Parts: sequence; C-alpha cells; structure tokens
Amino acid sequence: MEVTRMSSTAGQTYLDQFPAEAKVIKAAFWSSFMALAIGGLLGLVQALHRTDVLRFIDSADYYTVLTAHGVLLAITFTIFFLVGIFTWAVTTSLDRGVVDIRFTWAWYIMMVVGTILVGVSILGGVVDAIPTNADVLFTFYAPLQAHPAFYVGLVLFVVGSWLAGADWFRTWWAWRKENPDERIPLPTFMALTTTLFWYLCTLGVALSILVFLLPWSLGIVDSVNPLLTRTLFWYFGHAVVYFWLMPAYMMWYIMLPKLSGGKLFSDPLARVVFVLFLLLSTPVGIHHQYLDPGIAEGYKFIAMTNTMFLLLPSLLTAFTVVASMEHGARQRGGTGYLGWLKALPWRDPVFTGMALAGLMFAAAGFSGMINAGMNINYLVHNTWWVVGHFHLTVGTAVALTFMAAAYWFIPQVTGKELWSRRLALGQVLVWFVGMTFMSNAMHRSGLFGMPRRTAEPQYQGFDFEPAVGTVGEINAQVALGAVLLTVALAMFLLNMVMTSFNDDSDSLPANTYAGTLSGPEDSPAVLDNLKLWTAIAVVLVIVGYTLPLASIVDSGGLFGPDIGGFQLAIETDPALVLESVREVMP
Amino acid sequence: MASATEQRETDQVHEIGHEEYDPIGTAILIGIYFLILVLLWLFMYFVEFLGNGPTVVGALLTVVGLA
Repeated sequence: MEVTRMSSTAGQTYLDQFPAEAKVIKAAFWSSFMALAIGGLLGLVQALHRTDVLRFIDSADYYTVLTAHGVLLAITFTIFFLVGIFTWAVTTSLDRGVVDIRFTWAWYIMMVVGTILVGVSILGGVVDAIPTNADVLFTFYAPLQAHPAFYVGLVLFVVGSWLAGADWFRTWWAWRKENPDERIPLPTFMALTTTLFWYLCTLGVALSILVFLLPWSLGIVDSVNPLLTRTLFWYFGHAVVYFWLMPAYMMWYIMLPKLSGGKLFSDPLARVVFVLFLLLSTPVGIHHQYLDPGIAEGYKFIAMTNTMFLLLPSLLTAFTVVASMEHGARQRGGTGYLGWLKALPWRDPVFTGMALAGLMFAAAGFSGMINAGMNINYLVHNTWWVVGHFHLTVGTAVALTFMAAAYWFIPQVTGKELWSRRLALGQVLVWFVGMTFMSNAMHRSGLFGMPRRTAEPQYQGFDFEPAVGTVGEINAQVALGAVLLTVALAMFLLNMVMTSFNDDSDSLPANTYAGTLSGPEDSPAVLDNLKLWTAIAVVLVIVGYTLPLASIVDSGGLFGPDIGGFQLAIETDPALVLESVREVMP
Repeated sequence: MASATEQRETDQVHEIGHEEYDPIGTAILIGIYFLILVLLWLFMYFVEFLGNGPTVVGALLTVVGLA
C-alpha cells in the first residue's frame, strides 16, 4: 500500500519526528480526556436524575451539573482534542515543526487557565466554599447571569484557540517561503480553512461577552438585550459545531482510507468540502432561533435556505469517505456489490470506532434535516429530540472518532504501545450500543413533547402520551444507554492510563496518513486561494446578519429594555424558584 | 497496535488505480441511505401534519398581513 510518507522520516513515529510538539499535543489530549471524564460522569448523574432512576442531588443543582456537562464536553473536551490534532496535521503534512514552541505552550497554557476559571466558577454552584455561580448552561442566555470569572475564563479559552490558529498559520507561512510553488498539503488546508471560520464566528461570541455580558456581570452596565446576546451566541453557536466536527472529518478523510487499506478517493472533493464549510458555517446560526420572537420569519427563512445548502458538503463527505473505504476493501480482496464490506478491518478499534461514528452521523443527518426545517422544528425545538440529535453528532460522530483516533495518536505522541487493542475494540462497540439506546429514546420522547433542560420532566395532572411504547420504557432506555456510555468511558480512560504506564516500544507504525487516488494536481488552484474564500464568507455573513441584527437593536435597544440579571443560586432560594416554576406549570 | 498498519499492508491483494476503480458499492450504500431519508421524510408528514395543526403554512395570511 502506498501511503504518504514524510520523505526524510519514513518509518518514524510522530514522537521521533517532532519530540517537542509531541509533548504539547500529549498535554492537549490529556486536558481533553480530563474534561471528558468529568463531563461524562456528570452526564450519568443527569440521565439517572431526569429519568427518576436515582436522584441523589437536589433538583436545583441539576442545572449546575448540566452547565458543567455541556461546557466541559462541548467546549473543553472537543477543542483541546482539536488543537492537538491540528498541530499534528500541520506539522506532519508540512514536514516541519512549529516556528516557536514557546508560543505553542503559551496558547495551550492560556486555554488551561481559561478552563480552570470556567470550571471553578461553575463548581461554585454546588460547593459553598467557592463564592461563584454560573448556572447558565452551555448557551449562557441572558437574563441568566454568571459570575464574571465564567465569562473571563471563556474569553481566555477562545483567545488561546485564536493563538493556536495563529501558530498554524505561522508554521504554514514559514513553509510557504521554502516551498512557494507547492499546493497546500490537504491536512494543513483542512486546519487552515477551519481556523478561518473559527475566527469569523468567534467574533460574535467575543462581542457578546466583552461588550455586553461581562460588563453587565461586573455591574458596569445595568441591562442587556437578551435577544441580541442570544443571536450573537448562535452566530458562533452553529459554527462551533462544525469546528468540533472538522477534526473528525479530517480523520475520516486522511486516516480512514489508510486504515481501510486504500487511498483517499479525491483530494479536490475534500478541498471543496472544507471551502463550503468555511463559506456556510456561520450565516446559518438563526436556525437555532426559529422559536425566538423578535426575529422576522423572512430572516429565519434565509437561514433555513443556507442551512439546507450545508447538507451538500456532508453528503459529499459521505460519498468520498465511503468510496475511499471501498477502495481499501477491494484492494484487500473484497468483492461483490456489498460483499466488500466484509473485507474491511473490523477488528481494528481505530477503524471500527471511526466507521461506527460515521454511521451514527448518517442517522444524525436525518434528525438534523428535521431540525433545519422551520415548520417541523417548531414541533421538536425545546424537546429531548434536539438532545438526542446532538448526542449523535458531537456525542458520537465527534466523540467516538476522537476516542478511536486516540488509540492511534497516543502511541504516536508517547512512543508507547496501546495497552489493550481488545479492550479498545470492545469500548467503541459499547459506546455505539449505549448511544443507540439513549439517543433513539431521546428522539422518540421529543416527538411527544418531553422537554429538555428539565430536572423533573413530570407534571401534576398531565401525562405524556407516546404513540408507541411508554414513558417508563423510554426512561429505561435512556438510563441503560447512559450506564453503557459511562462504562465505555471508563474502558477508554483505563486504556489511556495503562498505555501511559507501558514501556517504550520501537515497533510502532510510522506517522503517515492516506495517499490519494486523485491528488491536488487534479484540483483547480483557486481552491487554495484562502483570501478569496474568506472574503466570500465575510460577505455571506454580512448578507445573512446585518438586517436581523439591525432589527433586533432597533426594537430592543443595544442594551435592552431594562433587563437586570438573575443569578439562580445566589440571589434566589432555589427551593422558591422550583416552587414558583411548579405553580406556573399546569 | 504495533503491527496494525504493517499487517494491513501485507493484507493488500492487489493495487487498484484511479482509472480502474468504480465505487459501485458506495453508490448502492448512498442509494439505500437516500431511500431511508425519503421514507423518514414521508413518516415526518404523518407526525407533523396529521398529528398537529399546520404551523408556518397556516400562518401564511398572517405573514403577509392579510389576517
């Protein structure tokens, strides 16, 4: 099999090639795993509490746990893993180290400090000794207000990720000077286009925090416009899901073909897909706000149209990645219309984890289409359906791909052999089965209106009426799924910890990624014109957001119609809040 | 893990180039996926429109200011 090898370093692991960078990547991966461990365990607490299988926390504390679960998994786990993978991708594909390793450590440490600030300020919601509170969930919607440390921590984390992006660009510019006529290698191209839309989309959340929420939390301004800060959040909030997803896509494009024994079907198609994500990730955020009053339906319709266009790169990916796997399977002797599937390396946990993650993502494609359609979205918007959807996307397509990738990457950056391949294979299967139970039940419960973000989804004088099955059966599936997912998480972490205690190995596979059947020479040079695509992306954002934002500011004011803050656990007795919530519920 | 990649290299029976490769299996799988999407889309009609009153469609007159 011909795979792309680094000319001067064939046969070497990443640790052999780039020992200094390998240390930073290892640190980023471990930061990611720690967030996964804490956030995942809190997920089990919530699932058992909501389904009333085991309630050992106060229902008011459920929201602290939910905030920590969302922030630690959706932001910390994913983005720490991303910066590790992208640093690997840029250095490996350019065959050179970063320009200044001290700068690399600086952004990593900045992200860690940000995470600690955010984590501690959330923890204050359940630990009396910490005088903070941030029960604002992952979306931190005003008028829910967090302690200033929460917002400052988020800013530090995001700025750290900006500097990481600057690091990748600097490395690429340095390479460009030495190789002025070469095409950008595909993994670097993927990292750079993703970084560009990350810069574009995080401007919204930076504006929301620095101009509105942080001054409001500090008492510098008295009021905010909740619809404006929500809209700025979702300006960032949809692109962030592609930010998590792009490293998973990168793994599917450049690792899965190699693991299957073949080559990437088309480098040009892969470039087109990443350009489309750069263009379309950001001007679609309003599709998370179909139910928000105050945004005219016309703007929502434009966001829906943009969103439907976003299906295109995902469907292109489905074709390219599966065709690459089929190429590998046929090279390994697979035959027949579907018989080639048997020739794939299903005993390899790295392959199987990524393939199952891709399969789950195909299912998420359907629930995503439902979410994207304006009329049907009204039916499922605030229900558990949406939670089921994103546990298939970020919770499996991304998380399972990352865990499977870790089985390849951790040996690469530590020089130690994976502790147990068998345990790893079992782990990806248990995760898949657990998520099948949990996510399916969540989707179904959403169809009969069971709400999300609720500690006790049971009401006096009202019963949910499932079309098929019972509420008890759905709760049992969610609880069972959550337990299986936690078992899979423990299996993963055990394997990672034991691997780090393993002896150094000199028989690890070389640091390579997949070659291509149709290479960059077949793709038009304009695809590498990052300035052009960035300019078009900016224009699309201006077209998609100027009028809605102007309309929101016009009707609600820049700082809102006297909306004061409301900190759930500090200023109000949680018992009273729950009591008042029960009173207004029928 | 050590031999994972190398082992696969020896597993290769023959090399298939760009011109001779025809991803027919992929076309079948994508076709099945589209079929599932269409069936689920039809199912959605029953969930949304027959189980509940129409939402955006019914509001057309309100949107254009006629009602």
